[in-house]
Amino acid sequence: MAHLTKTYPIKARDYLKAGEVSMEIHGLMKKIGFDSDLIRRVSICAYEAEMNVVMHGGDGVLNVEIGSESINLNVKDSGPGIEDIGLAMQEGFSTATEEARQMGFGAGMGLPNIKKNSDRLEIISDKGMGTEVRVGFTV
Amino acid sequence: MSQEASSLHYVQIDEKRCVGCVLCMKACPTKAIRVRDLKVAQIVGTCVDCGECIRVCPHGAVRAITTRSDYLAPAPHMIISASPVLYSQFGQDVMPEEIQAAMHRTFEYVFDQTYFLDLYNVALEIYIKENRCREGAVKPLISPVCPVVNRLIAYRFPALLKNISPILTPREIAARELKRRIEKDDLLSSSDYGVYHITPCSAKMISIKNPMFLKTSYLDGAIGINDVFDSIKRNLPGPEEESMISPSNSLAIGWGISGGEIASMDEGNYLAVSGLPETIRYLEKIEMGLFSDIEYFEFRACLEGCIGGPLTVADRYEAKRTVTKISRMFFHDKRIRYAQAERAYKKGWFFSERRQGPVVHLVEKSGIIHAIERQEKIEKILSSLPGKACGFCGSPDCRSFAEDVADGNARLESCIMRRS
Repeated sequence: MAHLTKTYPIKARDYLKAGEVSMEIHGLMKKIGFDSDLIRRVSICAYEAEMNVVMHGGDGVLNVEIGSESINLNVKDSGPGIEDIGLAMQEGFSTATEEARQMGFGAGMGLPNIKKNSDRLEIISDKGMGTEVRVGFTV
Repeated sequence: MSQEASSLHYVQIDEKRCVGCVLCMKACPTKAIRVRDLKVAQIVGTCVDCGECIRVCPHGAVRAITTRSDYLAPAPHMIISASPVLYSQFGQDVMPEEIQAAMHRTFEYVFDQTYFLDLYNVALEIYIKENRCREGAVKPLISPVCPVVNRLIAYRFPALLKNISPILTPREIAARELKRRIEKDDLLSSSDYGVYHITPCSAKMISIKNPMFLKTSYLDGAIGINDVFDSIKRNLPGPEEESMISPSNSLAIGWGISGGEIASMDEGNYLAVSGLPETIRYLEKIEMGLFSDIEYFEFRACLEGCIGGPLTVADRYEAKRTVTKISRMFFHDKRIRYAQAERAYKKGWFFSERRQGPVVHLVEKSGIIHAIERQEKIEKILSSLPGKACGFCGSPDCRSFAEDVADGNARLESCIMRRS
């Protein structure tokens, strides 16, 4: 089965470059010719996951697997981890820093937005152990 | 080359003058130019007629195909409608009424477009207001005025075609109304005349010959400002001559600057963006679902707006100063009978025809598999390339080169810096 794998590093607190990884994935999917709604959903999820690493995580990596049947995003960071995943999934709940909020981020919509736009979502995290977010889409 | 032979784009490279440098290839924002074996530049990809190549070519080898005013008079009578950018070209001491007087001396019939800019703005305001409470409204709306941006959207952002506002552009409204009046009063028979637009824009010709939102354009051709500048300048009235015709208002005079289209509009969340690289970046973000809080985007492919068009004569910043200074001498309000404009709006007078719904490129599953394999191949080739974007291979950057190699349009050996 044809599939394309790419790995991108994400730097914590690098607001200048934030969003570039998701834009690259967006461009790649457009070149392949996926349905525009799927591209939009993947881009939104990649963007939110990328921003989470930039805002909360230590440095991290985003791995994308683009296949003809499914698309998978795997975002891992070495940040502080999520203490209560259920709480983090609630709209509006945020632990973003003042710095992030001043730039218009950290409204507590990231994970809920990923949930809304993806077909599969799995979060593996605990306090102090970093976070891994696995997002899946059916083509 | 004949005009028929260039139906896809109206920007052309003269192979005799081209020396095979890579300046145009590097400047092309859609990466549509290749210089294979460093011989001559060729347009191979999706050209959007933006004219960046015209600007950067030091050899004058690239030009926009337009209706030439000096020969090839395509109809016995030429009726001229001019872009308001014309008012910015003669420096800050030449008044719009003097330019109009010179126009009347230069051409047989001249028609002032500025009134239609006001009309267009009224229609646009109504449409945006309606869009605020429309069920499932498309947001943000995108201005239909810049033909380069329209083409860019069609080729690279087809999902955003539905965001382009359906209001007909002022130049088309003006030409349609002019033709209606001529026919109503039986002034000229339709085979005897044509309406030609004096323009700063290298893409105006394609938007007339191959319009996106009309079956056929109401305009018959486009003439570059740089083509008629000298003739108009020669005909400017002397200091002792009185000239009394004047365009409508400051808004119309300032229309050609970035932000000119939205300047007169009521309070609302509008944004003007100019320059093709910036426009592309914004379109990418809109496509990703950002900016839904913005109601209307005025995109102009040329930096600083139409005053920065490739077929202008004056420097864009000087032109901007001229417009800013002159527009202060005019009334700021639109000279429009609102009730009349609103009635026309309700009748659908302002709306363009959508030839089809948004173009959707549905790719079959087998096509997707093939495209993923192609992308894998591209990534593999790319990883063996130096990433220097030197252009020596004849492609604008390493990614484009990798694509060309994957598609069999270039040889890997053309890269002189390749890591083995």
